[in-house]
Amino acid sequence: MSAGVPEELEPLLGQNLLEHVPFNVAVINRDFEIVAANQNFRQFFGNWEGRRCHEVFKGIRVRCPHCRAAAVFEDGLVRVSDETGIDRHGRRCHYVVHLAPLRGPTGEVEYVIEMTTDLTETRHWQQQYNLVFERMPSLACVIDRDFRIVRANEKFREKFGEVEGQHCYRVCKRRNEPCGRCPAALTFEDGQEHTGRQEGVSKEGTPTYYVVTTSPLSRGDAGVEHVIEMATDITPIRELEMRLQEAHDFYEALIRNAATAILAVDNNDRVRVMNPAARELLAWSAARLPSGRRLRTWLPEEFFRRKPLDGDVVQLPETAVRNARGETVPVRFTAVGMKSGAKSLGHAVFMEDLRELKRLEQEKLEAERLGAVGQTVAGLAHTIKNVLMGLEGGMYMLDTGLRRSDAERIINGWEVLRRNFDKITALVKDFLSFAKGRLPDFQTVDPNSIAHDVVELYRDAARRQGVQLRFEPGFDVRPAPLDPDGMETCLTNLISNGIDAVMMREEPGGSVVVRTREEDGDLVFEVSDDGCGMDWETKGKIFTTFFTTKGGKGTGLGLLTTRKIVQEHGGRIDVESTPGKGTTFRIRLPRRRLEALAAAAKRSSGPEANHEQSNR
Amino acid sequence: MSSRIDKRILVVDDEEDVRDYLKAALEDAGFEVETACDGLEALEKVRAHPPDLISLDLVMPRHSGAKFYRELQKDKALHRIPVLIVTGHARDELGRADFEELTMSGPGVYLEKPVRPAAYVAAVRKLLGMEAEEAAQRPPEDLKQELEDALKKADRVALQRALDALKDRS
Repeated sequence: MSAGVPEELEPLLGQNLLEHVPFNVAVINRDFEIVAANQNFRQFFGNWEGRRCHEVFKGIRVRCPHCRAAAVFEDGLVRVSDETGIDRHGRRCHYVVHLAPLRGPTGEVEYVIEMTTDLTETRHWQQQYNLVFERMPSLACVIDRDFRIVRANEKFREKFGEVEGQHCYRVCKRRNEPCGRCPAALTFEDGQEHTGRQEGVSKEGTPTYYVVTTSPLSRGDAGVEHVIEMATDITPIRELEMRLQEAHDFYEALIRNAATAILAVDNNDRVRVMNPAARELLAWSAARLPSGRRLRTWLPEEFFRRKPLDGDVVQLPETAVRNARGETVPVRFTAVGMKSGAKSLGHAVFMEDLRELKRLEQEKLEAERLGAVGQTVAGLAHTIKNVLMGLEGGMYMLDTGLRRSDAERIINGWEVLRRNFDKITALVKDFLSFAKGRLPDFQTVDPNSIAHDVVELYRDAARRQGVQLRFEPGFDVRPAPLDPDGMETCLTNLISNGIDAVMMREEPGGSVVVRTREEDGDLVFEVSDDGCGMDWETKGKIFTTFFTTKGGKGTGLGLLTTRKIVQEHGGRIDVESTPGKGTTFRIRLPRRRLEALAAAAKRSSGPEANHEQSNR
Repeated sequence: MSSRIDKRILVVDDEEDVRDYLKAALEDAGFEVETACDGLEALEKVRAHPPDLISLDLVMPRHSGAKFYRELQKDKALHRIPVLIVTGHARDELGRADFEELTMSGPGVYLEKPVRPAAYVAAVRKLLGMEAEEAAQRPPEDLKQELEDALKKADRVALQRALDALKDRS
């Protein structure tokens, strides 16, 4: 209460000022006894009357070791100190205390005023803030306008080491100058919060990825003074992202480059994915993907009827789709239901274009047929050579017989000539029937009834020769498109061979069994005998030329003709044989090929068939 | 036709007509002939009574010519008998492998069916080393060439003699 206060105010201020200052004020005498205090003081520290300051402030009986008040009594200087004490409830509290001297008339310091401000709350918040800063699960640092790190939290130090005072760009990115428009720079510029992705280098030197958020921390005259940077390390997430991207790219390339046409169709019949093969197959070049009604006219109706559930598959081995040009394309069609978790995503559709395959199959059949013809020609040449040899012999006998007037030789020669003429006549006849260039005349017939008819035809002949002939039909055998005459010829040849084989075995009797059955999609005819069997050498030759083991009796064309007919049916014939035990010939006709061949024959020879009929 | 030759030939062929024909041709040329209809019968006959030459067909049922030949080669007493192959299968799939085996390592002499009687007899003679008589069977082109070669070297006396001989004939 000195200069500056008008005199008339002094008495008014007095006690009022003491009561109104926002401090806890107490006055102590040189014995450290509190002699006066304001209402604030009482409220904070409780009753003080008759007590010493250390008892009230700190709850101790003796004076504080470094008592500041004592020093003020000594030198009369003002002191400020940070103290910890206990409040009236006995709770720990923080406060700042100002100590000021009150001098008496002698100029000695008689009293000391103690003005305390409670900091308990502030301290508490400070500690909490610190804890949050240090222990937050992100990397955090405070930087100044020079991008120097003022403070860094535990996580940040863990990642980059002790870095206070260093430039953040040096620490985080190993750069020698600021990065430019980083979020921190933006925040310094406009005082707003900013977020961005940053790529840095950890103290181990590995690339590290962050999402960084920067906020202004304190402002000064020049704007933002400090910025707090909070970064979340997203390196593992980025790694996952990259792996996901790789997987995505991989599958996309797989789908894009697949030779199979692939569509992904959602539950509203909209195409979501269409690879180039699918575009080509469906003749669709527009950028927009087809959907709805168009798709329904293209894809097989059966797909829409039987839309498969998750994991189920609709497989149509031979069907057709229509494309944007209105063409019908034969395809192998597969559709699979797709699911993610419990949610249905729609269907994946795979289509293999069968046009090329069909063409190749046709070519292969043709090549097999030509191969058979080539072998036939070689065999034919040999048979003709043999006949020529016979004719040569006959002429020689006749020539020499005539020259010597040897009647027996003349007759002999004539006979040889006649026999060989007969042989060549039979050969030409067989050969013509063998080489007839007609395609099989496919009709849908019951394989069992064909086999049954041939067996009946041979039954008497077999019985006369003491051979038992049996037919064991397969009851699951279904009608099939076959050339009935051709198959009859095949079975006739095999059965008569079987009977001959039985006749050639050492013990009399024996049997020939004809069987039919369905096996792995093939229609199978089988003719087994328990006759003489064949050695390995003979087995290798039976199909290759006009080979015969029947001397002059056979033309060697039977099995060749059989094989040719079987091949024209898209099938194959094989043989198992053991010398002395018997032989089994087996004709296998894949049903799919039968259907395809019958359909092709119908398509390509429609007009010819009519022509042939009109000739009859 | 010819005087008897003291050589016995075994003709092996599965076709009776062919056997008869080859037998007649050889007999007419003065040879003694035996026949066999397959490799097995041929082996029996060769072992029982070794011939001077075997005329062999390659592709026969039961026991082929190639099999027969291999067994013949195993027999020290028989493997020197000359073999003449008479086949229709020299070049086709059925006979090629056997044929190549036999012509590479075997007798190396073959005739391809059909064979003319003269060529057949000539081949037999040649294999038996009866070269002298064989000249008659050679094609005239060869003879003309030989004559030309002889003319270049011949002296006056020899030429005169040759000329006289030709005049006598015609």
